[in-house]
Amino acid sequence: MLEKIQNVLRTHLDNETLEITAATTFEELDLDSLDLVELVMSLEDEFGIGIEVEETLVTVGDLVRLIEGLL
Amino acid sequence: MTSPICDLLGISVPVLQGGMAWISDWSLASAVSNAGGLGTVAAGNAPADYVRDQIQKTREHTNKPFAVNVMLMSPFAEEIAELLIAERVPVVVTGAGNPERFMRRWLDAGIKVVPVVPSTGVARRVEKLGATAVIAEGGESGGHIGELTTMALVPQVCDAVSIPVIAAGGIADGRGFAAALMLGAVGVQVGTRFLVANECTVHPNYKQRILAAKDIDTVSTGRRLGHPVRSLKNAFSRGFAALEYEPNTTLEQLEEYGVGALRLAAVEGDRERGCFMSGQVAGLVKREQSAAEIIADLISGAEAALKGASSWVK
Ligand SMILES: Cc1cc2nc3c(=O)[nH]c(=O)nc-3n(C[C@H](O)[C@H](O)[C@H](O)COP(=O)(O)O)c2cc1C
Repeated sequence: MLEKIQNVLRTHLDNETLEITAATTFEELDLDSLDLVELVMSLEDEFGIGIEVEETLVTVGDLVRLIEGLL
Repeated sequence: MTSPICDLLGISVPVLQGGMAWISDWSLASAVSNAGGLGTVAAGNAPADYVRDQIQKTREHTNKPFAVNVMLMSPFAEEIAELLIAERVPVVVTGAGNPERFMRRWLDAGIKVVPVVPSTGVARRVEKLGATAVIAEGGESGGHIGELTTMALVPQVCDAVSIPVIAAGGIADGRGFAAALMLGAVGVQVGTRFLVANECTVHPNYKQRILAAKDIDTVSTGRRLGHPVRSLKNAFSRGFAALEYEPNTTLEQLEEYGVGALRLAAVEGDRERGCFMSGQVAGLVKREQSAAEIIADLISGAEAALKGASSWVK
């Protein structure tokens, strides 16, 4: 799952070699709450699920756990 | 003038009065609704009891539809969300935050939900969740603002969604109204101009400052907090800016500085310590009028501008 999200993020940020781990924060990636909305929408399409955007999403790991809980 | 948003919201002219925390109570909201627009009671950070009382008073003064503006960052958001269902409020407008956790409940209760959106992504998102319409609000606005301007945001949101789009930010007369329609919007939300409506109960000092303001008199502060605010320049805004640019200031200190400042301006009229939220169009606002006169002027001005526009086409 982490790998899939890494790929989506790399595409989104247009940087194929970007270092991303579960501990990476969205802030470090320069993604604000509006970027997160876009990101979550592409992930919904990718996995065919509905994700509720939570204000508590801080790290990439938070997002991985959220999506794993929905699958 | 009419537009698809009129049928959708049950109003006779496509003008929404923007919710303004501490300011737009039943008095302004019912006056706007009685004049054929959509009046809005602002919930702000107030507790549910206050909002219930405002809804009841609005209903005592108008039998037309009205909206309640919910600040999603409010500590009382959850109780207010339930109250709006219990009260069967006709329209909910959401601002400052993510409405997802409440949308389904409101829509299931037959409430029309119109979120304020700062980007195409959020607009598409709320459309998918069933929003009735969206308000694309540009950074010219007073209050909490997004990055994009109305001119750039409105047409992009219109392209991104198929639900009706209402434009907000920088609209204070018929020219701005007509321009918004040209950008693809089907209606407008107006905040700053309604501050000086006779029925608006804001402190007289606030009205005076709006009436005296020039084009260059607003400033945005709080970008470091992630939720910038546009307000009139005064001791408060200068202090905020100084603190914001001081590298040692923590976010907590900055947040703390702003607490209660809108109330000080709106209720106490404190010219030094108050935060006088205002849009860039304050310089266009020159007269105190009734809400009905403001709406009539917006409509006749827009009709004149739209009729005149064909003279540009050869
Ligand atoms: C004093 C003031 C307070 C405001 N408070 C709120 C609010 O509580 N919730 C909200 O969604 N928008 C708020 N706004 C934004 C207005 O609803 C409206 O969208 C905006 O004023 C439109 O731009 P304009 O000021 O250029 O007309 C506020 C605006 C002002 C001027």
